Amino acid sequence: MTQDCTTYRQDDLLAWILGDSNAGASEALAEHIAVCRPCRRRAAEYRLLDRCAERLRNDPVIRWRSFDSPFGPMRVAASEAGLVALSWQDETDEVFVGGLERRYRSTPVVCDTHELDPAEAQLTEYFDRRRPRFNLSVDLSALGEFQRAVLDAASALDFGETVTYTEIARRIGRPRAARAAGGALGRNPVPIVVPCHRVVRTDRTLGGYTGGLRYKRALLDIEGRADLLPSDASRVEISLR
Amino acid sequence: MTTAAEPEGRVDRWSERYGPELQRHVTAMLENAEEARDIVQDLWVTALRVRPEEGEVVNIRAWLYRVATRRALDRITMRRRRSELVAIHSDELEPGDPVAADAAFDRLSEAAAARVRKSVAALPPAQRNAVWLRWIEELDYATIARRLGSTPEAVRANVYQGMKKLRRDLVSVWREERPT
Repeated sequence: MTQDCTTYRQDDLLAWILGDSNAGASEALAEHIAVCRPCRRRAAEYRLLDRCAERLRNDPVIRWRSFDSPFGPMRVAASEAGLVALSWQDETDEVFVGGLERRYRSTPVVCDTHELDPAEAQLTEYFDRRRPRFNLSVDLSALGEFQRAVLDAASALDFGETVTYTEIARRIGRPRAARAAGGALGRNPVPIVVPCHRVVRTDRTLGGYTGGLRYKRALLDIEGRADLLPSDASRVEISLR
Repeated sequence: MTTAAEPEGRVDRWSERYGPELQRHVTAMLENAEEARDIVQDLWVTALRVRPEEGEVVNIRAWLYRVATRRALDRITMRRRRSELVAIHSDELEPGDPVAADAAFDRLSEAAAARVRKSVAALPPAQRNAVWLRWIEELDYATIARRLGSTPEAVRANVYQGMKKLRRDLVSVWREERPT
């Protein structure tokens, strides 16, 4: 496994550490490292590495997965505390994961299709008009205080309820910060679940939406707010069954 | 009265049957009979505490070898640290005080874990996913392959490549930290 040992390869030591080798192979390897100094040293390194597993198991990790949605491939990510990202704007998984890696330096970003099952299920139900309320926790702890306050205020809005940017600013005690509130909503890392689409302009036009207003229209259409949509029904370009 | 069915009796029996060969095994690993005696003695204490069930879940000889070998490897790691990079905690690493040695090892593995965490985060995604699910979450290869939409062979290859990289990173830090 090293230049000094012709009997074992590094893979054999790894198999032993990972529990991939059977009992017979394990005993043979244990006997070998008793007499082979290079293997012993390498095995000690893997053993120290393996002892880190227990600490890592209790460490923060970001999990993500993707699934199909009417908006296209949707990608969600969560910390232990809740959803940290939701996106259908990224071209590929790599772009989405790259964004998470930059945001969560030194926290492993891991693909996992199970932990996020509830997120996929509930979002799918939402698009099917079968779920007016999400039962998903959201983790906004990585954001600044102002943006968190704005997004919390948006989270308090019910299905189909809309308020103005000015009203959101008022609700967080910063009545003159309507424009900044709009900016904070525009950078919402968990759209749909944190319903920034329920915030509109004072003149009842829709304002903006990251990725395009057509998404905001589609979401408000799901929530039965046709009154806010342009009278020409064809303006809801995204068909939702 | 102690019978063979009670833990003490069982451990005495194991000690009689396997003690000499374990002593030879650990002595060969450490090239030091006295340190080996410490480890083998400690092994019986652990056996009393953990109470592995002979014949049921484990082959007891394999269990004893595994535990003894791991402890001996830890001892080798501590020696290496002592010889290569002690400096900071050298006072805690004096031989003969197992409690302090344990504390020092704890600190060492904590520092190692911090480094390994960074390395895991920096692995290419395919390796990172595979390493995490196999090594940290201890799922089997078939399950991981299903979850990641891959094959068990590909997952395994990614785990092994990733783990080798983690070891290299860990060892490189040791060299960097060597006191100048």
